[in-house]
Formats: sequence, C-alpha cells, structure tokens
Amino acid sequence: MSTLTAVDEADALEQLHRLGCTDGLPVVIPTPERVARCVLATGADPTTSLGVMGPLSALTTIERVATNAVMAGCDPDHMPIVVATLRALLRPEYDLSEAQSTTHSTAPLIVVSGPLASACGIAGGFGALGPGHRANATIGRAVRLCLINIGGARPGASDMALLGQPGKFTMCITENSAESPWEPCSVAAGFDPFESVVTVIGVEGPHSVVFVDDADDPDSALRLLRVLARAIANPGSNNAFMRTGSVAVAINPDHAAVLARAGLGRADVQRELHRLATNLRGDLRELNPAFAGSGDAGDELHALPSPDHVLVLVAGGGGLYSTVFPSWSAGAHLNPILHERIEADQACEVPASG
Amino acid sequence: MVALVSEPFWQQGDLIAMSNGMPDVPRLRLPHPVAGSGTAAMIALAAKLTPRIIAVLRGEQPADNEPVGAPST
Repeated sequence: MSTLTAVDEADALEQLHRLGCTDGLPVVIPTPERVARCVLATGADPTTSLGVMGPLSALTTIERVATNAVMAGCDPDHMPIVVATLRALLRPEYDLSEAQSTTHSTAPLIVVSGPLASACGIAGGFGALGPGHRANATIGRAVRLCLINIGGARPGASDMALLGQPGKFTMCITENSAESPWEPCSVAAGFDPFESVVTVIGVEGPHSVVFVDDADDPDSALRLLRVLARAIANPGSNNAFMRTGSVAVAINPDHAAVLARAGLGRADVQRELHRLATNLRGDLRELNPAFAGSGDAGDELHALPSPDHVLVLVAGGGGLYSTVFPSWSAGAHLNPILHERIEADQACEVPASG
Repeated sequence: MVALVSEPFWQQGDLIAMSNGMPDVPRLRLPHPVAGSGTAAMIALAAKLTPRIIAVLRGEQPADNEPVGAPST
C-alpha cells in the first residue's frame, strides 16, 4: 500500500481530499499506528483479502479496510462489524460492481443484530438513522470509504448514481430490541440469538410512512399494513415496475405493538405486506408503459416476488412514523437480503493508544 | 466485440474496460439519451451506427477509444 507524507495532519487532510479519498467530509488521518490498531482488532494478517471489489477489481485487504475505518472515525472494536459487512457486500449475490455503477441511488443498509450491536453502542431507537450516534455513523462511513477507495466508486466517473442520496454517506442501525415484540431479524433468519450478525440490503433512501392507531378499531392493524404496503408499491419505485428485489420496512415500536396486538408475528407481517403491496397493470401502464409489460389492465401485480423479500425491522422511537426503504431491484441476483455472521472470536484486545 | 457507450458514461466505460482486464476493447461513443428518444430517432441512430460497428469488428476502422492503463490491485 502506498504511503503519503505530509508536514502535519491539516496538510494530510488536504491531500486526501485532493486525491478523492474522502467522502467530502474531514477524515481522521490514517497514520500507520492508527491503522495497525484497527488491523490488530481483526486478529487477521494485514494482507488477508476479503475478496475483489468492483468496479475497480481491487483486493479488499484487511489493511485497506483498516485504513478506511480509521478515516471514518471507527473505534477498533467496530472492525469485526465493518469486515462482516464487507464480506456480505462482496458475496456474488450483492452484485456490488453493478450496484456501485448503476444510475439508481442504491446504497447498503447495514443492520447489526446480536451482542456486538449493544457492545459497540449501535443505536436502534430515536433518530438511529440520523446524526449523533458514533458507531452507526462511523461503521457505515467506513464501508462507504472502502467502496470509494477500494472499489473505486467515484461520482460521475464510476458511481453513476444520477443524484445519489444521503444514505450513501452511512446507513447503519440495529433493531430496537428492547421494545420489539418479536425476535431479532437475525434469529428469524435462522441465527442463534447469541450470534452477532450483519444484515445487508441495497436500498433507496428512507420513505416516511405516517399512521395513527385506533385501539377501538379492530381493523387498525390492517390499515397500518395497507399504508405500509402502499409505500412499498409506490409507483415511482423500481419494485413497483420491475416487480423484483427486496425492501426493508423499519416499523417503529408503537406500530409494531399494533401488529402484535392483532396477533401478528414477523412472518405474518412479511406475508401480509407482500400480499397487499400491489398495483394494477393498467395503472402502471399509464405511468411507465415501457415497464408495464403485456397483459390485462386489471392484472394485480405484486411489487415483490415473495414474503421473503420483505426485511421487517423494529427500529426507531415509538410514534406515528414508520419507514419503508424501496430498492434498486436489479443486478443479476435482483437485490437480495443478505446475512453474514460477525467473526469476533478472532479479534484481539487493542491496547489504548499512546 | 464492440461496446456502445453513451457520452456521460464514457469515463465509466474506460474504468470498466480497465478493471476487467480489457483496456483495449473497442468502444463507440453514442449520444445521450438513447432510451426514450423515440422510435424514429433510434432507427436513425442504428442506421448511422451499424456500418461503423461492422467496420470496427472487421478491423477496417478504429474505435473511438484510446487504450487505458492496467488496473492497480
């Protein structure tokens, strides 16, 4: 790996900005000592490669990942999560080269489950996706800086997202487990509750969904499901027109309680959202005939292929607003939901910096 | 092989060619946008472009691209 020399940290920062190695915001200067601490936290050799990252086809070595994690402001303890996230993104199913190159605004939503989420201080409650949470901000940012500096995703040159979106800076949360009526999403996916797991899905920016509960209305849960389904099937999304891909739905704890009160579990919610998220072919044809296909105008078209393509999360503070994340829906593997176990057993305790 | 690359994506085309180990793959420059430009415009573009594609494939004409460097891994 090449080394830059600078007269001081301010000079180093200007060089990194000039070289296009930042996300536009100031970074922590990745001195050899700082990088070494993050490498040590992985328990891996610095030359170990997680795979080839596109579109630049560069090796994703632990040292390169550590360098970007330092720049992002990560604590060394965050490294196993950053590494697991990159392992997920480098799986063929994520279609990373295509996702980095598309004109769509897709970006990885990173959901951390299990003991490491709380150990690292990842927020899942009020404002978890907004500013103010170091672990959320820096883990997602470390991944983005890897996508820029290892994968070579630079706006207008190789990352061709037409406008992009703020989630391309960072997009990392955990579930609000303390207030969730359901098991964590990783457990629903088959992992042990004591395992730490990263779930990754490429998504658009979050779409707010307002809903007011009425405990006297026996159909309250159904109304909530219907409004969430409308947001999933909104006829501006790729999901509506391509009828592929997956979506994430972050249900706030109050809304989750409405669904639980109606006797619905996580799998029931997935099933109902898939069932209700539809459009009539005729309506789609009026808007975007190129994507509507041939068939009867009255055909009811599902926005998603199956209930398994809905990632249900309980996240955020309790209140009126839940969130839907539509997706790109493209690539050879059609934008799946991926889970990756976080390998923390090889991690080393890192001594305090001098 | 000839890759058709519309103008705003030319730099990206260079990068993809380079990172896939085919820096010299012939590339022809297209106007932008092509999608949605209408049937007549697309037919006209195809009529204009097809002889060039064939000529490049036969090695009778150069493509629009200069060779780019090898990737750094």
